[in-house]
Amino acid sequence: MMSFDQNAFLIIFTASMISISCGLLGVFMMLRKMSMTGDAISHAVLPGIVIGFFVSGSQRGLEVIIGAGVLGILATLMIDWLRRKARVQLDASIGITFTLLFAIGIILINLLAYKVDLDQECVLYGEIAYLPIDLWITGGGQNMGPRIMYLALLNLILVGGFIFLFFKELTVTSFDENFSMVIGIPAGVINLGLMSMVSYTTVSSFEAVGAILVVALLVVPPATAFLWTKKLNQLIKITIGIGIGIAFLGYYLAYFFDSSIAGMVVSVAGIVFLASALYKSKLISNRFGTSTNQESFGN
Amino acid sequence: MINHVESPIIEIHDLTVSYDQSPVLWNVDLSLPSGKLIGILGPNGAGKSTLIKAIMGLVSPSGGYVKLFDKSLEEVRSRISYVPQRESVDWNFPASVLDVVLMGTYGKLGLFKRPGKKEKELAMECLEKVGMHGFAKRQISELSGGQQQRVFIARSLAQNADLYLMDEPFAGVDMATETAIFELLKQMTAEGKTVVVVHHDIYSAVNYFDWFIMLNLHLVASGPKETVITEELLRKTYGGKLNLLTKVSELIRQKEFNPLKN
Repeated sequence: MMSFDQNAFLIIFTASMISISCGLLGVFMMLRKMSMTGDAISHAVLPGIVIGFFVSGSQRGLEVIIGAGVLGILATLMIDWLRRKARVQLDASIGITFTLLFAIGIILINLLAYKVDLDQECVLYGEIAYLPIDLWITGGGQNMGPRIMYLALLNLILVGGFIFLFFKELTVTSFDENFSMVIGIPAGVINLGLMSMVSYTTVSSFEAVGAILVVALLVVPPATAFLWTKKLNQLIKITIGIGIGIAFLGYYLAYFFDSSIAGMVVSVAGIVFLASALYKSKLISNRFGTSTNQESFGN
Repeated sequence: MINHVESPIIEIHDLTVSYDQSPVLWNVDLSLPSGKLIGILGPNGAGKSTLIKAIMGLVSPSGGYVKLFDKSLEEVRSRISYVPQRESVDWNFPASVLDVVLMGTYGKLGLFKRPGKKEKELAMECLEKVGMHGFAKRQISELSGGQQQRVFIARSLAQNADLYLMDEPFAGVDMATETAIFELLKQMTAEGKTVVVVHHDIYSAVNYFDWFIMLNLHLVASGPKETVITEELLRKTYGGKLNLLTKVSELIRQKEFNPLKN
């Protein structure tokens, strides 16, 4: 039976916030041709999560987020160093970096397994369905609602604020890095800032959607939106729209098929992308097939 | 044949730049006068772009230094404008022509501030100067190569600088546009600005520039047109490319332009 109860609302609301945060960052990752760096970061944060977990003793500690943030930045720097100094190709340096750090993370989980309640499954897949029962209870014993929802809200505010404040800098460094350095905008700092936000977002979302599906939310909605528009403002708006749409559809499809919500959200995103790509490629072949002038480019 | 000048706008001292241990610029030592239209000539791989990038601090030299307005680059950044090669960016980027030109104003805007009405007016003026004001709303992915180049020049004009460094701004630009832009650059130098241009076409270069830098890993010559456009120096710059040199001497003969006699 389909219903729109409080649980459904909480889950869809949280999933939307997570996919909007990821999508906003993903737009700029895509424009920098760094979508796969997002993939690398989401895996490379694993050792940071484990160490943070070990230090704080719980997966809710600030140490976990700091640990993951540090590892995310480390991964970014390592990829950059391999590419620039060791002259390794970008795809190879991404592949080397994140597999190495991820492997270290797995070893750490096994070594510390008797001390921490954490396994690969939980980090990799996450489960947003448990959200309504994982509550934030204040010191006074008051029930504030789902804990992960607050994490997602805080994340969205910080990501939104970051993009809003540095919109000009993010845009110019994405388009023309050399030019931005010449006019005195520190491209390296902006880049590290963006990567830190990606690391933080990955960690903040991993309980809900897991480290693998976060990648999809970083890559797929912006890529889909870019099929539909060539304007940056609209690109961001469509990405947000897709983020909300896939959360909604994903939830109800998961409900219907009695399956993983996060998995369904990402599957829906993938299907929307494929459908858009198919539609666009058809449109283009029709356009060139039926008319020789390229007037339609100008609108 | 290296002419040095008093109170130069750019002073390069013993500059050496290497990529992967192999030098691409050797001991370049020159000074440039202000208010001139300056051309950098040389064959492919002569280090022309590298010289501009070294001046702009985009590559770090393994030896020597560059001084601009008798100061370090950091102190005078806002007075310098740079036009990178068109191929250095992805033109599929979701931005309009106006958006890109507005980027020229970002340096002076500072952190957190967005371009306002004043900046937009300036950007439109700059677009008008390069004949692109009708394209302000157009997405940059829909431009031709020559139009992209003009957008880059407009962005550079929007920086309102005193010194302009342009890397191959005429690659892929048609003759009419090239002439129009050179007129614009001449006008700018008449207003006291200095424009340094990497140029690959010797034929048109002879007509346009007042001062030449000739480069082939080493600095071959730097000086006013009359003293450096000679067959000997061109031969030195372009090395064994005889075919090209025959054409050059032909050109010089055709135009009866023989600086040795003047």
